[in-house]
Amino acid sequence: MLKTTTLAMILAGGRVDELDVLTYGRPKSALPFGGFGRVIDFPLSNLMNSEIEQVAILSQYHSYSLINHIGTGAAWDMLGRHRGISILPPFIGSTHKDWYRGSADAVHKNIDFVQFHDPEHILILSGDHIYHMDYDHMIRYHQERDADLTMALIHISPEEAHRFGVATISDEDGARGGRVLEYWEKPESSQAEWASLTVFCFKPQVLYQMLQFNQGQRSFEFGRDIIPYMMRAGYKIYGYKFCGYWGYTRTVNEYWQSNMDLLGEKPLIDIENWGFRTNLDHRDIRDFQPTIVGDYGTVTNSLIYNGCRIEGTVRNSVLFPGVEIGRNTLVEDSVLFFNNVVGHNCTLTKVVADVNTYYGDHVQIGAGGKSSGVTVIGWNNDVPDQTTIGHGATIWPELNDACWKKKVKAGEVLR
Amino acid sequence: MLEKEGEGWGGASMRNTRQALVLLLAGGVGSRLNILVEQRAKPAVPFGGIYRIIDFSLSNVTNSRLQKVGVLTQYKPLSLMNHLGAGEAWDLTGRTRGVKILPPRTGAKDSDWYKGTADAVRRNIDFIEANPSEEVLILSGDHIYHMDFEVMLEYHRSKKADVTVSMMVVPKSQIRHYGAGIIDDKNRIIDWEEKPEKPRSNLASMGIYVFDRNYLLEALARNKDELDFGMHLLPWAIENDNVFAYPFYGYWRDVGTIQAYWQANMDILNPDSGLLPEQWGIITNVESSHRIYDWPPARYGYKAELHNSMIAAGCRIEGTVVNSILAPGVTVEKGAMVQDSILFEGCTVRKDGVVDLAIVDKYVEVSERAVVGYGDGHDVVNCASPDHLYTGITVIGKRVTIPSGITIGRNCAVHGFTTGDKFPASGLNDGETLLQDGTVK
Repeated sequence: MLKTTTLAMILAGGRVDELDVLTYGRPKSALPFGGFGRVIDFPLSNLMNSEIEQVAILSQYHSYSLINHIGTGAAWDMLGRHRGISILPPFIGSTHKDWYRGSADAVHKNIDFVQFHDPEHILILSGDHIYHMDYDHMIRYHQERDADLTMALIHISPEEAHRFGVATISDEDGARGGRVLEYWEKPESSQAEWASLTVFCFKPQVLYQMLQFNQGQRSFEFGRDIIPYMMRAGYKIYGYKFCGYWGYTRTVNEYWQSNMDLLGEKPLIDIENWGFRTNLDHRDIRDFQPTIVGDYGTVTNSLIYNGCRIEGTVRNSVLFPGVEIGRNTLVEDSVLFFNNVVGHNCTLTKVVADVNTYYGDHVQIGAGGKSSGVTVIGWNNDVPDQTTIGHGATIWPELNDACWKKKVKAGEVLR
Repeated sequence: MLEKEGEGWGGASMRNTRQALVLLLAGGVGSRLNILVEQRAKPAVPFGGIYRIIDFSLSNVTNSRLQKVGVLTQYKPLSLMNHLGAGEAWDLTGRTRGVKILPPRTGAKDSDWYKGTADAVRRNIDFIEANPSEEVLILSGDHIYHMDFEVMLEYHRSKKADVTVSMMVVPKSQIRHYGAGIIDDKNRIIDWEEKPEKPRSNLASMGIYVFDRNYLLEALARNKDELDFGMHLLPWAIENDNVFAYPFYGYWRDVGTIQAYWQANMDILNPDSGLLPEQWGIITNVESSHRIYDWPPARYGYKAELHNSMIAAGCRIEGTVVNSILAPGVTVEKGAMVQDSILFEGCTVRKDGVVDLAIVDKYVEVSERAVVGYGDGHDVVNCASPDHLYTGITVIGKRVTIPSGITIGRNCAVHGFTTGDKFPASGLNDGETLLQDGTVK
């Protein structure tokens, strides 16, 4: 009989405040990325390419956009008698009635689901990271070492340690990894050079015990609670060294930078060769015709999916389907999500624009030199003609006409 | 002279729940498309970057809310069947919806290939009987157009017609390629000429017929020697029964020749042409190539130069592209130039290569400094197929490798799967054809 060997649980619940208006109506994992996909497509494509075919997604913040995106799971070939993606929202049970109180609580609340599949390994992933990884290599390492928990680690400089869960490891397996010797969650200062990627492979019985124990505590996070406890209790935890690209998208600036990493002669994110898949039914992107670059269009160092019409100049930018760029308009160093329609004689510099925004003519956004901040435009806006928006400004979604003014200053928040 | 709007066929508000059965004739060889139909039927020929020709008819069916379609195939149906899949792309799967492939079947006699349009329908009478409907809509799978069939069906009902033929005005010089109808002031067709040399009308049949179902069954049973709608069945019906013309004013092209096919592709680049696939809601099956991964967005390099071109996902543009249509996965390297051309999926034009006025089938490699479409010999017709290639367009078959530095002239054809070692060192002169075994004709 076909049986699930690895069950993957993707933590896709959170809204991260630093991402601001971009997570106004969607969890971060559903954030558009790479000109046609969403952030969660990276772990999903990795799972598909690692041939892991049972996946659960734990989600509680504005789940609709995520549910819509996942669809039947067929996009990642996860539809079949023994293949599937389940979205697990919080629910009221006979013994609990809360939202998910943390990542470990979310998994604990769905322990029935996990035990029903009775997997040999439980893989716990974050839905918010941009990377390409064959989980199978890590699972094999986990098996060989007979570990209770194996976590993927990436090399960082000690100054960054305060942002991550960090570890020191033995060098018993050289480039592959080693036993985790010490672990700190977001330490103020640390000499540890290995940061956790939030990619965990658990031995099921150990995970069940840990989650059960954790229910008696006050905090319910894998990084903050479960792993430190396991370290103290002497469980066998291994670190698996990952040395590829890892895109962290916690802040608007990081999100913008990750998009820029798609560009250039030798892009850090090699989307052509990473085996990337998305759900082409979401927003019907399969039905867009190829992009038309008109007589006056110029496009350099950019990624543009189907469904755009370019009459102006596009440089160092990523354009999603349905974007239109008018004559004499310049778009540079920007990321325009689905259906941004830009008029004539505009300049957009270092802008991240959410879906469905219309820009009149002679609109100026950004432009404050190389070190200027990213300007963020929330979804469903109508930017009037002649508007000037300074760099680093934030425009809230769905502003009504009365909110708009001719000049929005640098760094200003318009809402 | 065509009556523009009649009583009782107002359009969308008049939608009727009665469902016409659709028969889509997709069996034609389309031999005038030359090596583009070496491996596939004409309706399966790629069009407009991501589409295939049949997508236009099928999408019109879906957008007209018709739900039952039989696709009659015959010639090299594999790529067509693959493309149709189970019909999900066109929303044609469900309890009451479906698209069925109807290949020729051996009957009482052997060698029962379809002998004409009416013959093909006659051989599928069992399909018509198994799917009762008031009307049968017969379409051709090889035209580029946008039409709401429900409006035509309402018109047919309001005229109480036995047969309604969709017709459009074409220049008189063109009428010899079509069936031509002569109508009275009520749009009733009173006379018919099939491909007339000296036309009496400028009204051309678009190969779209609505038949009253019972009338169709009777007509097909009447005379088994009537093999073709335009040649036999319609002239008889016009003489004896009620046949009406349904006027059509939109964009419609028969892309049956290399020149017409090329021109219709170029029409996409000119919004004034009226050819607007995305606005029309034309749907294709993006899964049919069975790629495991998606085509990522097109990547434009630092030196990319583009003018008036259509670029699909998965392309990599480092060179220059002018007035061209590029299907998914086409690479144009630095210093390379593509102009007035149509490149199918996965083609590569290497450094300093040139493609000028050409149609290039899937996964062709144009090596460094090779030139496809060279010189001023646009008038030198193709020796092997003078009726196909005579306007300067050069056609390259599927998976051909053109070696570096080789020059290919105008009106040339290179057959599919020709490897680099089969090319003469001097290249191909205007009007020459290269076969897979290296023979030059």
